[in-house]
Amino acid sequence: MNDMSQVPVTVLTGFLGAGKTTLLNRILTEQHGQKYAVIVNEFGEQGIDNDLVVDADEEVFEMNNGCICCTVRGDLIRILGGLMKRADKLDAIIVETTGLADPAPVAQTFFVDQDVSDRTKLDAIVTVADAVHLSSQLGEHHEAEEQIAFADVVLLNKIDLVDDKAVENVQNRIRKINPYAKIIKTNHCSAPLTEVLGLNAFSLDRVLEVEPDFLESDHDHEHDDDVTSLSFVSDTPLDMDKFQAWFGNLLQEKGQDILRSKGILNFEGRDDRYVFQGVHMLMDASPMGPWPAGKDRSSRVVFIGRNLETMNLQEGFEGCKVA
Amino acid sequence: MSDREKFLKEKISSLVPKETELESRGEHFHFQAPVTCSVTTSHSIAVGFGDGKVRVFFEGEKPRIIDAHNGVVLSIATNGEYIFTGGDDGRFLKLSQNGDIVEIANFNYRWVDSVASYKDSMVCSSGRNVYIWSGDQKKAKSLEHSSTVGGLAFDHTGKRLAVSSYGGVTVWERGERRWTSKRLVWKGSHSKVGFSPDGKYIVTSMQESELHGWRLRDKVDLAMRGYPAKIKSFAWVGDTPHLATSGDHQAICWPFDGKDGPLGREPVCVADCGKQISTFIEPLTGEKAVFVGFNDGSVLLSELDENKNPFVIRNPKGSEISAIAISPNRSHILIGDLDGHILWSTLWKNN
Repeated sequence: MNDMSQVPVTVLTGFLGAGKTTLLNRILTEQHGQKYAVIVNEFGEQGIDNDLVVDADEEVFEMNNGCICCTVRGDLIRILGGLMKRADKLDAIIVETTGLADPAPVAQTFFVDQDVSDRTKLDAIVTVADAVHLSSQLGEHHEAEEQIAFADVVLLNKIDLVDDKAVENVQNRIRKINPYAKIIKTNHCSAPLTEVLGLNAFSLDRVLEVEPDFLESDHDHEHDDDVTSLSFVSDTPLDMDKFQAWFGNLLQEKGQDILRSKGILNFEGRDDRYVFQGVHMLMDASPMGPWPAGKDRSSRVVFIGRNLETMNLQEGFEGCKVA
Repeated sequence: MSDREKFLKEKISSLVPKETELESRGEHFHFQAPVTCSVTTSHSIAVGFGDGKVRVFFEGEKPRIIDAHNGVVLSIATNGEYIFTGGDDGRFLKLSQNGDIVEIANFNYRWVDSVASYKDSMVCSSGRNVYIWSGDQKKAKSLEHSSTVGGLAFDHTGKRLAVSSYGGVTVWERGERRWTSKRLVWKGSHSKVGFSPDGKYIVTSMQESELHGWRLRDKVDLAMRGYPAKIKSFAWVGDTPHLATSGDHQAICWPFDGKDGPLGREPVCVADCGKQISTFIEPLTGEKAVFVGFNDGSVLLSELDENKNPFVIRNPKGSEISAIAISPNRSHILIGDLDGHILWSTLWKNN
């Protein structure tokens, strides 16, 4: 999955009016000499300044593969396949989703379709959020929560229109859903493009950078439908068989509610670090080289999702430790 | 040269595969764009490329180049005389074999994903819609579907048009005054579609690395599974006929003779290529034999007989086979790959 010839794909999500098209046009005008393809779904509302724009319908369909929540974007499979047949090499592909889109099918497409994952790679999910309206949108539309939960980067836009207190509140709200996303506060989406493109956020070695610095056990009682996150750390090595049994079963049964998961694992008797990341029921995992000499070997796992408190995650994780 | 050098030279030359007969007598071209599609017309083979060009190969001539699209040639079809192409520039074109270009329609930012033609009818799909021009009609008849069209195919009479999409196939039938439709349902996303040569079956390749078929008489479902990869190519071979399919380490050929076709029967598996995955299938016209192209660029020719050894037609060149076509009088073969290589050769030794 880490071939250099794979073209990176950046997914831009965010509610209507948050500033996706502004960001898109900034990327296209500022990155001189780069060849981009842009896949849009609401073409025509505002002009897009690029000679390679593809208009598509977001066609989400279920895979017949026994994975009940496994949906993919059929239009992406078709269009990415077509773009890979071009004579000129693309530097990157940007997919703009509609305001109410769930990012999961886009991400899952890269796990499920062999041709897509051979030739392209998901670079990052970038969510543009409107500092004025995000709080109310989070309450009203579960898609808004999902867009924050899936984000690798949240561009908190239009901060000039609200006071500092309100910015802090909305930032706390984002953190509660997704403590790992990088939040960039902007006006007119004026973030440095190096913090938006070329992030390689879905590569397994980036999981190694997941920091276990937040370990809140004092979760407020959340509304059942709220998206939250939980993380666990263990300095005791884990039993590989026990972990596989627990985790496999967990994704199979609760995968619909677990939006994203990632972790670094220290298995008893193994010198390599094991790294995984998942989207709903789908997972990518691999050994990622030996643990650095002289450093502590600690396992850490992170979950972002709904109803996490009902999944006995703590007990399950504890149960994987070697006796 | 020392003995050791001699030894090494011999050793190395024994490791490099010898040129095949076709490779040594054929012409080699390298165009700087992937070969995306091909079709055999009345007098030539037309090949579509990722740079928007269509190159037309006639026997004994240099290929003629047509600057057709401003992007990828996504699909190609012929009614014998004319070549029809769809591109990612949103255009549907009618090309003469000599290179005249007529733009039939332009959908701008929407791709023309599939095209088909039968006598004086030409068809293309863009998004969820299929557009049909018949006779000398200037305006297309538009047929709408519930999701993006995956593939198009006429039957052998030209009266029925199969359109695949998400959840199944819509079969349109040309009536006296209008087109009527029937829906064949099967969960999942269907792409390439084709009628059997006798028009009794419809088959599609699916996103889920399987084929689905329907017997049209009673809509009986035929699920053909067990492939390790997506089926990018299938073709009908021989009189029986067999449906030869890619997507495995060989060509998987399902029998469609008898009353029940492949129901409850085992396929014939030929042209085994070890670890490679087959990506293109082309029958040797008039024979019970099939050319099978693989993802490493090798091409094998095999009879539909598991006890016969296949012939190596082309050695691996590293890039996936995306086109194999036989010239109209069966004298030449054209093989193309995703790196833009074309092998153009006489098919038989003595012509």
